[in-house]
Amino acid sequence: MHMLTNLMAQQTIWQLPEGSRVLLATLIVLGAFVLILGLVPVLQTLPPRGRRAIIVTVTFLAGLFFAAEFFLPVDWTAIFPKDDPKRNFLTPAIQPAQNVLQIIGALALGLGTFGLVRLHMRNVVQKRTQWGYSVVLLVAFVTMATFSILNTLAEKQLATKTPLLERGFSILFDYTLVQLDAAMFSLIAFYIFSAAYRAFRIRSVEASILMFTAMVVMIGVVPLGAYISYTILGLPQGSAPENADLWTRFLHSAGLPSISHWILTALNAPAQRAIEFGVGIGGLAMAIRLWLSLERGVT
Amino acid sequence: MSYQHAQDNWFAAIVIGFIALAVLVNIIRARMGAQLYIRRIPGLDAIDEAIGRSTELGRPVTMIPGMTAFGVVAVQALTIFKYITKQIARFATPMRLLSGDPTVFAVAQEAIYDAYNEAGRPDLYDADNIRFLSDRQFAFASGVAGLIQRERVAASFMFGEFFAESLIFAETGNMVGAIQIAGTVSFTQVPFFVAACDYTIIGEEFYATSAYLSREPVLLGSLVGQDIAKLLFALTTLGGVVAATIAGTDAPIIKLLGQPGGWDAFWSSVLKGGGQ
Repeated sequence: MHMLTNLMAQQTIWQLPEGSRVLLATLIVLGAFVLILGLVPVLQTLPPRGRRAIIVTVTFLAGLFFAAEFFLPVDWTAIFPKDDPKRNFLTPAIQPAQNVLQIIGALALGLGTFGLVRLHMRNVVQKRTQWGYSVVLLVAFVTMATFSILNTLAEKQLATKTPLLERGFSILFDYTLVQLDAAMFSLIAFYIFSAAYRAFRIRSVEASILMFTAMVVMIGVVPLGAYISYTILGLPQGSAPENADLWTRFLHSAGLPSISHWILTALNAPAQRAIEFGVGIGGLAMAIRLWLSLERGVT
Repeated sequence: MSYQHAQDNWFAAIVIGFIALAVLVNIIRARMGAQLYIRRIPGLDAIDEAIGRSTELGRPVTMIPGMTAFGVVAVQALTIFKYITKQIARFATPMRLLSGDPTVFAVAQEAIYDAYNEAGRPDLYDADNIRFLSDRQFAFASGVAGLIQRERVAASFMFGEFFAESLIFAETGNMVGAIQIAGTVSFTQVPFFVAACDYTIIGEEFYATSAYLSREPVLLGSLVGQDIAKLLFALTTLGGVVAATIAGTDAPIIKLLGQPGGWDAFWSSVLKGGGQ
C-alpha cells in the first residue's frame, strides 16, 4: 500500500527508491506475462466468430480513444482555471499507448530475428544451395551481437570496457557496418544514372518533354546554369525593378536558374501536393475501414 | 509533449468529418447495390501477367513491403500481397516476401498463411519464404538485392512505403530481367520507380488497389467517397485562390480555411456578438 501511495505521489516507478522500483517492475512484468499467457489460450479456444468479435471491439475502442483525444476540446480553463490549456483528459494517456506499440514492436523484432536465424541454421544443417552465405550471416550475427551487448553493458558500467572490446566494437561498427551502409548508399548514384538513361531515351513526346525539362532543371540548379545565363548570354540577374517594362521583366526571369526554380515551385510542387492530398484521403479512408473493421484484407 | 487537436484548426476537423461521412455514405450505397464505376489501372492488370511469366520460367516472385512500419500503408500492402499469393497458389509458383519491419513480418506470416488456405493449398505454405532481413535501411537493401540476384526472380512486386533504397531494389530487378510493378505513397520515390519499373501505381491509386482487385462493395464505396473528398479539396483550393486574390491573404475567410489559430478571432467575434 505504501508503495502504491508513493507511486501515485511520484507519478512514475523510476522515481521510487531502488528496492521498491525493482519489486514493482518485476511484478508488472510478471503480471503482464501471466495475462498474456492466460489470454492466448482463451483466444485460441474461442470460435472464429467470437475471436473476431473481440478483435472488432478492441480495434473500435482503440480507434475511438485516439479520435476522441483529437476531437475533444483541449482548453477547459473557462471551467477549470488551473487546467493545462493544451490538453484534454485523454491526452496524458497518449504516451503510454505509444509505449505499448513500441513494446509490441520490440517483441516482434525478437520474432523476426528468431525467424532469420532459424532459416539460416536450417540452410547450414541441411547444406542447402549457397549455404556458405548462411554461415557468414550467422558468424556476423553472433559476433556483432556479442560485441554490441558487451559494449552497451560497459557503457552502463555493468561490465568492464577492455581495450579488446573497445577496439573490436569500433572495427565492427565504425569500420565495417557504417562503411558497408555507405557503400550501399553510394550505389544509388550509379543506379540513378542507369535508370535516368532509360527514362530519358527519346521515344515519345512525353519522354522528350521529360528529357528537356530534366535538362533545364539539372543545368539550372548547378553553377553552369548561372554561367550560361548571366556570363555567356549576359542576362540580368535578380528581380526586375518595380517600374520595369515587360521586356526587362522577361529578361530578368529568362535565366536557367529562374526557369529551373519556376519549374520546381510552379509545376512540380503543385503536382506533388495533389498526390499528397490523394494519399492523405486514401489513408484516412483506409483508417476508417480498419477502425470499423470493414477492411477484410489481412484482418 | 504537445499533440495536434481539432481545436487548433476547426476547418481541418470539419474536413476530416466530411471525408469520413462521404466514405461511410458511399459504403452504405454500395452495400445497397448501387453500381459504382472504377477506371482501369494498367499496373494492376499486369499482376496476373507477371505471375504467369514467373510460373513459365519457374523462378520466384518477390513481394517487398519495404521498410514500411505497421500501419494503414502496411495493411494495404499486405492486402495486395495476399491477393498475389492467392494467384501464385493456383500455379504453385515459388514466392519470397521480404520485410524490413518486424511487426509487418509477423502479420505477413499470418496473411500469407491465410492466402494459401483460402486458395485451398495450405501445403504450399512455407514459413521460410516470409523473411525479416534487417531493420537497418541499407542492410535490408543489400539483403533484398542479393536475393533478387541469386534467385534470378522473374517478377517483383514492391508495394508500401519506400525511401532511398527503392532504386536499389528496382534496378537490381531490372538487371535480372524481372517484370516489376511498384506502388508507393512515398512521392519522392515515384520518379525512381517510374524510371526503373514496368508499371508504377502512384499516390492514391495505391489505396484503390484492394478495391480494384477484389471489387468488394465496401471498398468500391470507400473509393467513391475518396473521390468526392478530392473534389471537395479541389473546390476548396479553387475557392481559396479566388478569395485570396480578391480579399488578400489576411482576410478572415483565409484564416478560417487554413491558418493555425485562425478561428480564435472568429470565436471571440461570435462571443462578443459583433465584428472584429
